[in-house]
Amino acid sequence: MKSKKTALAQGFIRCHDCGCLSKQADNNSHCPLCGGRLHPRLPNSFQRTAALLLSAFCLYIPANVFPIMTVTRLGVGEPHTIIGGIMALIHGNMVPIAILVLVASILVPLLKLLGISLLLLNVHYRWQAHAKKWTILYRIIAFVGRWSMLDIFMISILVSLVDMGGMAQVIAGPAATAFAAVVVLTMLAAKNFDPRLIWDNQR
Amino acid sequence: MNQTNFTACPECDLLLNPAAPVVGDKAHCPRCGYLLQRPRKQSIERTFALSIAGLILMFPANLMPLVGIKMLGGAKDGTLWSGVVALFEEHLWGVAVLVFLSSILFPLLNIILSLLISAHLYFNQPNRHLAHWMRWLQHMDEWAMLEVYMLGIIVACVKLSATSELKFGFGLYAFVALLIVTGMLASSLDKVLFWRQIGYLRKKK
Repeated sequence: MKSKKTALAQGFIRCHDCGCLSKQADNNSHCPLCGGRLHPRLPNSFQRTAALLLSAFCLYIPANVFPIMTVTRLGVGEPHTIIGGIMALIHGNMVPIAILVLVASILVPLLKLLGISLLLLNVHYRWQAHAKKWTILYRIIAFVGRWSMLDIFMISILVSLVDMGGMAQVIAGPAATAFAAVVVLTMLAAKNFDPRLIWDNQR
Repeated sequence: MNQTNFTACPECDLLLNPAAPVVGDKAHCPRCGYLLQRPRKQSIERTFALSIAGLILMFPANLMPLVGIKMLGGAKDGTLWSGVVALFEEHLWGVAVLVFLSSILFPLLNIILSLLISAHLYFNQPNRHLAHWMRWLQHMDEWAMLEVYMLGIIVACVKLSATSELKFGFGLYAFVALLIVTGMLASSLDKVLFWRQIGYLRKKK
């Protein structure tokens, strides 16, 4: 019969780095294969993820309220927020690019913030159903995180290219820092979340 | 010793008998479906070759202009580095550092570490830093974002194409080639195999 017990419940610890499995004992805090520190689960996974997530939520507001960049042409220009930039793309008949930016800089961060919150709720309230689907949600969040950097890279390219003095200029706004921080914080939150916590709660 | 012959799934911690997939097979966790191992043909040799190619491509991709622009009588070339400098000059230090790390430093370190590790494994040279390098490589993997940068270039070009004349530099071709090489590098590097070889070398020493 196939055992459905976790390795930890049977006294084994898996090394986070090299994947080597070793018998749990009082004195082996280091992995016998690679020498890294052994932890049964990522240390303080729940608390760290929650703290990073909360910071990301707070920064998500300035990231959307403040202007992310100002495009000046012949001395006149107005600041754009993230949503304003997407509107400008739609008005300029560049709908596919507008959808791309919408997905990368609005939907993905939002999905990540909500998704990680749900994962934390799952672990906290020990939801029993669909553990596999929750793990897949975790995988999607971990995979998709980096693509939000698209907006930041685009701004960096625009700022360096469009710099013609008074004729035309792109200036990055304060929301760029907040948005970059949201991306990094949600990536760190996903990295600190240990999906094994979901499975530990299964009865 | 405390070592065992079992393995465990990294995402659901199910205790498993080690799978021994052959090239072309994939080993998935039976409970959560995690991809445990996907062996590659000549993983060490290919990683070695690809990381050398990547290191060579790193120079033109970083030093030569990616995109040039002509607009209202002015002209300008953009490189990876000029984007970082421009952000820095606008006092967005945090964003500038982030862009520098994810588009220049981490991809470079990623390739250098792959080269060091695969060279040691290829020539069967034990080195006490191998485990450290491998650990750093795994942690850095996620933060090297060349493919996202490529998408950023595309979006920026589409935005600019309406109002200005764009010229693609040689750096962009090198950048695309670098992107392909790093993609192949990531898929040819079989982590399970690499750690096993590092373990052998450690014992041999």
